[in-house]
Parts: sequence; structure tokens; C-alpha cells
Amino acid sequence: MDHVIIETRNLTKIYGEQTVVNKVNLHVKKGRIYGLLGRNGAGKTTIMKMILGLTSITSGEVRVFGENIKGNEKRIYPRIGAIIEKPGFYPNLTGTENLEIFAKMRGTSKPNAVKDALEVVGLPYKDKKVFSKYSLGMKQRLGIANAILHDPELLILDEPINGLDPIGIAEVRNFIRALCVEQGKTILISSHILSEISMLADDIGIIHNGVLLEESSMAELQKRNCRYIQLQVSDTAKAALVLEQKFLVKEYSIQDDHLLRLYNTKLDMAEINRALMLEDISVISSQLCNNTLEDYFRQVTGGEGIA
Amino acid sequence: MLELVRIEFMKLRRKRFVWLMLLAALIMPLVAIFYFGTSGMEEITPMQFYKWTSLSYTHWIILPVVLGILCTMLMYDENQNDVLKQLWIIPVSKMGYFLSKFSVVLVFSLSFMLISAISSVLAGIVSGMIEITSESVSVLFFKCFQIGILTPFAMIPVLAVAASQKGYIFPVCVTVVYTFIGFILLMVNKYLHPLSSVVAITIRDIEGVVLDEPVNVGKAFLCIGVWAAASTVLARLALAKDM
Repeated sequence: MDHVIIETRNLTKIYGEQTVVNKVNLHVKKGRIYGLLGRNGAGKTTIMKMILGLTSITSGEVRVFGENIKGNEKRIYPRIGAIIEKPGFYPNLTGTENLEIFAKMRGTSKPNAVKDALEVVGLPYKDKKVFSKYSLGMKQRLGIANAILHDPELLILDEPINGLDPIGIAEVRNFIRALCVEQGKTILISSHILSEISMLADDIGIIHNGVLLEESSMAELQKRNCRYIQLQVSDTAKAALVLEQKFLVKEYSIQDDHLLRLYNTKLDMAEINRALMLEDISVISSQLCNNTLEDYFRQVTGGEGIA
Repeated sequence: MLELVRIEFMKLRRKRFVWLMLLAALIMPLVAIFYFGTSGMEEITPMQFYKWTSLSYTHWIILPVVLGILCTMLMYDENQNDVLKQLWIIPVSKMGYFLSKFSVVLVFSLSFMLISAISSVLAGIVSGMIEITSESVSVLFFKCFQIGILTPFAMIPVLAVAASQKGYIFPVCVTVVYTFIGFILLMVNKYLHPLSSVVAITIRDIEGVVLDEPVNVGKAFLCIGVWAAASTVLARLALAKDM
């Protein structure tokens, strides 16, 4: 298990009567991007805070680099860069001054660390603009610059694309990917934006109401996601009856009054169309579809969408 | 630790209000000029003048209130702007963090009292009300130094309250109440409140000050020490709470 950088065992957090995180077993592997996907309030930030030791753990265990963070802070923290909730900086200082403060506190030895970090995220060095005047996107970029300032092996990024415009999102996505591919960094990233996680992550964890419902690699997930035929008909109830009686079809689902999904993609569609027409059911369209990650999310969360 | 203190001062860049608060040291010298100028007193001794300018209300009320506001500002900004999470994962020790804030308060307090002493002498020279002697000036500077050093220790409870709060209203209210209670208790029991104890230590040997009983310096230091230690422990606990 030495390739697992973060491992949680039955991680639980209870605030008063409310269980915010419930027995989460998470495994973040070395050199990979792990996307923690869940709706707002699902427990993503709390998990990240517990991993970082910022919030106490009610029960369970967290191991980072194979060790418990408590008692090993001085050894483990310098190997981690993180943004939790929102990037925290001094509003009266410029981006460069802020990073210089953090570099000093970390004892960063690299002479151009601040300049290099700002360059990676596309922010100007020695700019006169103070942090309070930054746009949300610039603040996020500075947060990421601070996280990579000391060249850590592990990055924990809580919703890093919040507030970024589409171009900014693409840029951040690209350099997060580059950090993983080119520099071999391990990245744990959380988001409620499903498309982002699907484009970025190698592994995915789906969290819902504090419970980790699914943990697998994106490749595996894509393989597992079924293909189906979507039929748009005038009456799904009648169509279902025909399919059951004439074609002995059992694997189907009715989406609404006009949409129906057939999960056996080897069925003879021409034959089905003809049979439906004979029963006076109009077939408006039929198409082969792949189950999207959103569908899958809906499926594992029991019907609730991501946004 | 020294680096942390240096960084604390870097954080104060462009914070004009912090430096403007130093101007409060000029209030009592200006009041003294007005007071003695209109009192009709013919002979004013330097110590009488300095008691007005630096060694009374500046010491009892103005400095503690200014330091309380400073304590609140130092803690509030980091709480409000979510910087603490970043600091803890560097990791910055919670004790080191608290002590570095205290160091800023200490340096500020010394600067404040230095300005107070200089402005007192200048007020005396410019107004021509007193005859400046090296002996009186050295007593004034020594007393201001004493006040500048001891008052921050008496303000540690306020710094601890500020560390435990996310907002600024409560710590500022605590500052005002704490200062006035200290002032009132000075006449009742000097060893209950750290500010009363600091005042007791500093004024006990000032020429012309008559106290109802001799000051027990040991008891006064004990009072300051116990409050400071208890507050530091509380601040440590407050800083360790969940983020």
C-alpha cells in the first residue's frame, strides 16, 4: 500500500446530532488526480479539513504518506500544499508580498519560488495591486500559487475553479494536469462541477450526504457505464407492453411519457420500430446513447442530480 | 520566533490606521498645555506637567484602549480573511503565533510611550511652562519605558479574547470594560486586575503621588503573571479549535 498517499479508514465527523461525514474510506494513489465529487454540503470540505488536521476527527483514522498527521505535522505539512474553502490572504498586501510572507514562514529555500509560482498560475510578479482588489479568479490563482510555492508532493485543492471564467477554468485544468503529469504530484481535488472532475480526474470518489458511495478509476467507471438505446415514442406505457410481450424485453426504463431506454443494444431496431408502428405507436426517434457521468451520479445517489 | 515577529510587521504594510493610533500619544500633552495654560498656576514642576502628559490618563486609559484595539485588529484580520487555515498547515505553532502577536503589541506600546515622552518634553519646551532638567527628563523616559513594557502584559487577556473571536465587536467592548474596571479597581484593590497592578507598580515612586498604602510589588507582578498565564492557556485552546 506504499503507493497510497492518503488513506482514510472509517473517517467520521459528527457535529452535535448531525453526521457530516460517515465512515469514509478514501484512497488517493501516488501521482494521480483524485476527484472528490459531490453536491454542496455533501461533506467534501470536512473530509479535506480532517485529512489536513484542521478539524478534529470524531472516529476513524487518516494516514497521509503512511503516517498519522497528528504529532507528525512538522514532517508532513511541508510535503502538502492546500487551498481549503477560499484562498486566505492579507487584503492589504499585494500578491507577491503575500506569497513572500508564506515563503518566509515555510522557509522556502528556492530563490525564485514566488516568481515561479506566480508564473505557473499566470499572475504578474511584483504587481502593485493589493489582494483586496483582486477578482475572484485572481484570488483562486494566487491560492494555487501559494499551494505550489514550496513544491509539495501532494496538493489538496478544495473547489479550486470556483469563480473562474471558462477560459480560466480551462487554464487551471491544464496546469493542474501538468502538475500531475510533468511533475508527478498527487492531487486531491474536490468539486461539485461534474464535467470538470470527469475531464481532470484519474480516480473519482462520489460523496453524498457524508457517505462515500463510490470510489473507482475514471477508466473503470467509463467501462462500467452502460450503453443504451433511447426511444422517443408517442406512448411509453403502450410501447413497454409491446416490448415485453413481443420481444421479451425486461431491461428497460421509462423516463417519462415519451422517453424510454432499452439497455440491450443488440435488439433489432428495425423490427421493434415496425412492431410499434403496427400497434399505432409513433416512433419519433431512436438513438444509441452512452450513460454519462451525470446519469451515473444520479444512479448512485438515488436519483439526485449534481447541481 | 524572531522571523515570525518580523513577518508580523510585514503584515502591517499599508495599515495606516495602526500607525495613526500612535497619534493618540499626543492627546494628553496637548490637553496639558491647555489645562496649565488656563489654570493660572504660577509655578509648575516638571513632574506635575509630565504626570498630566504621560503618567496619568495616557497610562491608565488611552494606552490600554489603543492596545486593545490593536490586539483586536491583529487577530481579526487573519480570522476574517481565512488566513489561519493556511498558517496552521505550514505549520506555524499556535504558541509562536500568539507570542509573535504579543511582540507586535509590545513594540507598539514602547513606541507609543516613547512618542508620549518626546511629545511631553516638546510640549514643555514649546509652551515654556516648565524648566527642563536632565533629571526630570530621565525620570519621565524611565517611567514611560516601564509603562510601555508592563502594559502589554496586562493586555494579554484582551489579546486572548481577540484570538478566540471571529468578530471585532466583542473584543473592542471587552477592551473598554476591561480598561475602566482596571481604573476603578485601582482605588479598591490593586492586585485583582492586571492594569491596576501595572499602574500601582509604575506610579508608586513618582514624586507627589500619595497612595493609601505602600505598593506590594511582588503581589502586583503575581497578579499580572497569573492573568497573563491563564489568558495564554485560553488563547492556545481557542486557537486549537476546529477550523
